[in-house]
Amino acid sequence: MLLELKNVSKSFGGLKAVADVSLSVEKGEIVGLIGPNGAGKTTLMNLVCGVYRPSEGQVLFDGLDVTGLRPHRICRAGISRTFQIPRPFPDLTALLNVAVAVLCGKPRPRMGFGDALLDASHCLEFVGLFGKRNILARDLTLFELRALELARALATTPKLIMIDEVMAGLNPGESSRAVRLIRKIIEEYHVTVVWIEHVMKIIMEATDRAVVLHYGEVIGSGRPAEVANDPKVIEAYLGEKIAQG
Amino acid sequence: METIEFILVYALILGSLYLLMSLGFSLVCGVLRIFHLGYGVIFVLAVYGVWMFMNDLGTGMLPALIGMFVIQILFTLGVVYYIIVKRYVEQEEILLTSLLLVALVIEELINHLYPVTAGVNIPTTILSGVTKVGAATIPNQMFVVAALAAMITSAFVLFLLKTRWGYIIRAVSQSTRSARLMGVKVERVYAVALVLSIIPPTVCILVISPIWSIEPYLGTPFLETAILVSILGGLGNLRGTVIASFIVGLVASSVAFLINPRLVGLAILVMVFFVLVFRPEGIARSESLW
Amino acid sequence: MVRFEHKRAELVIWLGDLKLGWSIEPRYWRNPLLGMALLAMLPLAFSGRPDFLTLITTANAFACIAMPLAWQMTGTGRLNFGPQLFVGIGGYTAALISVHWGWGPWATLPMAVLVGLFFAALFSPLTTLAKGLYFSLITLVLPLIFLELTYYFTGIFKGETGLFGIAPLVNLGRIKTNYIVSAYMSLVLLMVFLFVVFRIMQSRYGLYAAAINDDEEIAEVMGLNINVWKVICFTITSVMIAVTGWFMAHYFGTFAGVTFLPLPFMLKILLVVMIGGRGGIYGAIYGAYFVVILEKLLTVIGPTSHFLFPLILLILLFVLPEGIYGMIRRHRYREYYPTIRVRRR
Repeated sequence: MLLELKNVSKSFGGLKAVADVSLSVEKGEIVGLIGPNGAGKTTLMNLVCGVYRPSEGQVLFDGLDVTGLRPHRICRAGISRTFQIPRPFPDLTALLNVAVAVLCGKPRPRMGFGDALLDASHCLEFVGLFGKRNILARDLTLFELRALELARALATTPKLIMIDEVMAGLNPGESSRAVRLIRKIIEEYHVTVVWIEHVMKIIMEATDRAVVLHYGEVIGSGRPAEVANDPKVIEAYLGEKIAQG
Repeated sequence: METIEFILVYALILGSLYLLMSLGFSLVCGVLRIFHLGYGVIFVLAVYGVWMFMNDLGTGMLPALIGMFVIQILFTLGVVYYIIVKRYVEQEEILLTSLLLVALVIEELINHLYPVTAGVNIPTTILSGVTKVGAATIPNQMFVVAALAAMITSAFVLFLLKTRWGYIIRAVSQSTRSARLMGVKVERVYAVALVLSIIPPTVCILVISPIWSIEPYLGTPFLETAILVSILGGLGNLRGTVIASFIVGLVASSVAFLINPRLVGLAILVMVFFVLVFRPEGIARSESLW
Repeated sequence: MVRFEHKRAELVIWLGDLKLGWSIEPRYWRNPLLGMALLAMLPLAFSGRPDFLTLITTANAFACIAMPLAWQMTGTGRLNFGPQLFVGIGGYTAALISVHWGWGPWATLPMAVLVGLFFAALFSPLTTLAKGLYFSLITLVLPLIFLELTYYFTGIFKGETGLFGIAPLVNLGRIKTNYIVSAYMSLVLLMVFLFVVFRIMQSRYGLYAAAINDDEEIAEVMGLNINVWKVICFTITSVMIAVTGWFMAHYFGTFAGVTFLPLPFMLKILLVVMIGGRGGIYGAIYGAYFVVILEKLLTVIGPTSHFLFPLILLILLFVLPEGIYGMIRRHRYREYYPTIRVRRR
């Protein structure tokens, strides 16, 4: 069991964003995390990554208790994430953006600055951004920023990547490129993936298992096809028919 | 027992004084969400503006007051608002630095024109003499200050709660984006707030000028007190400002009577420091102006 | 044994097997070595005029404050409105020890460093605890607290007149030689600071500073221990500023808090940083010379200079957002040009 959440809750004042969620992810799985807007998916991701501290519950990663640890320690432990609204370092070039991740993501005592840049170039080339490595991050397009996010996540040599809504704002051509890229990452690097997504087609095609969140609680878990036909899930989405091919 | 009387009476008096000092700063803080580091200049302009009209131009008291207000409004709108706030709301480092610089320029200018040795005398004594309250001897003018503080604060609160403009100002202080969506011209509200914020400090300094030492650099300690009271009260919350000004008054009078009057300035600065480090949200929990 | 090689854009010195290389900017006006040589010639050029030598020394000292400050503003991601606090700490340490115990400048230097280190370590948690705007206000207030303390403990700090009779930096008999040598010492200090700050900003630690400035939450998510790096940056830069305070105390022979601690001095330093081009390292040197020369020129006009000086700086701040250095040297696209952010949510 790579990642295990035991009865994790998070309240902001009176609002319970995540309520008693228990979840486990095996090594090598691709788990989709779905649910209507405001269900607490991004909050759950923030809890795992250390941005928020859980009010209750425990997060175990690879045998290590990472509940409430600071984000940089969790990153060093091997969890990496992307952001729904890309947040690069706007005044640094794409290469330097990834170089920060290379230098900080894993303790590498003998890595020199030049070696880090080389490693960053490799990550950029893998996602296809090598030609744009010297462009400032604030000048990149949305798709390139998403690719940069993935490159940064890769650069920290993670065991688990949490991907947050990578499709939002992309046109269909870019969407399929993004999915192909993520598939390539999974094949090459053998990472476990937790994938938050709204687009049902991707969940059906690309994931092994889907977990549905609604108002901070898990209301369904299992193979995507089963989950899609679960009446509780359909009700949560207010009757949205999830029967696209 | 006597000491406690002293402390409480002075706490009330000083509290009202600080309230009058800080009201404008809180207003700007709450509505514009900036730290008006040029606030000290309002005090200086008020005193020396009136002095200039009365001494150099020989006008009477009332025309001098009107003239000074005109200068204040022109300065606030022309310099502070149009040149600084409007352009640099986003780039806060330039905003804060330029406000500090403007304050410095005005203070040096006034120091050049009216050096400290010249002496400034503004006959705004409404009540002269002193009164004994319990064991404390208090200049009667300070009662005027306390009364004015109460009146002006109530006027502001009534304005904010009952009038249309008050509504709009409160709305902008909570969320400029939503206010804009409702059709409010946020820039105009900023201008109104800036002009309104001139009134309390001007009244304050004019009324206490007979019993306070007037010099071109008096803006800075007033600014520090205003910052302390505003932050302690929860940035830009008038209710908190009222409470905080009396708390600061209590601390100031306790320090003055129990330790050493020379340390009051230091005590206020140290309080600012600790409040900023440990509880920068202040005591009020509200996000809006009232 | 020692060989010199000059390739097109590189100067290489071979010391036996050790290769030392400096890259030379092909365009001469950008060459830092040239700039340093120019600065080194200045004290000799004005060797007859002690007031100009003081000007040069002061400008070098300002640059020595502005360069660590520029590093600190990116490395902690916050705007520091009170660098003069450490000037005061370093200066007063040197002054007090020199006046009361009679130590010479080279003995007070380690003491200034230690005391500066102590206070820097004491205040460094503020960089992690206090959010951006509040940190700026705290740094605004701290020098004023120190100033009030110097007034209150007049016995020790000698209030407004300050401490005098501090041991001079060098005493070679003739006053003119003293001035020239002191000017060169300030230049050496400048070059040391420049070397240190520049090398750090070019290395991975400069990258960490840039990351912290741009978005510290993201930097933390990517594995950077921001608290440790912010504290380290603040401590080292504050010690550097304290050393500059030490220098100024011994150079001027007197040290009064009222000269260095209140607002006008702070604004001068801040403007050196901003006019010299927002957090740029070489820009600080240009900015320092510009501000000091401007002030000197304005004193010719007379007492009106007191308000003309901040007025001109204010106008410059508006007109040249990139600073003078930014204007004459378009920064290269790839180069890191920091955005100074004050408010952080």
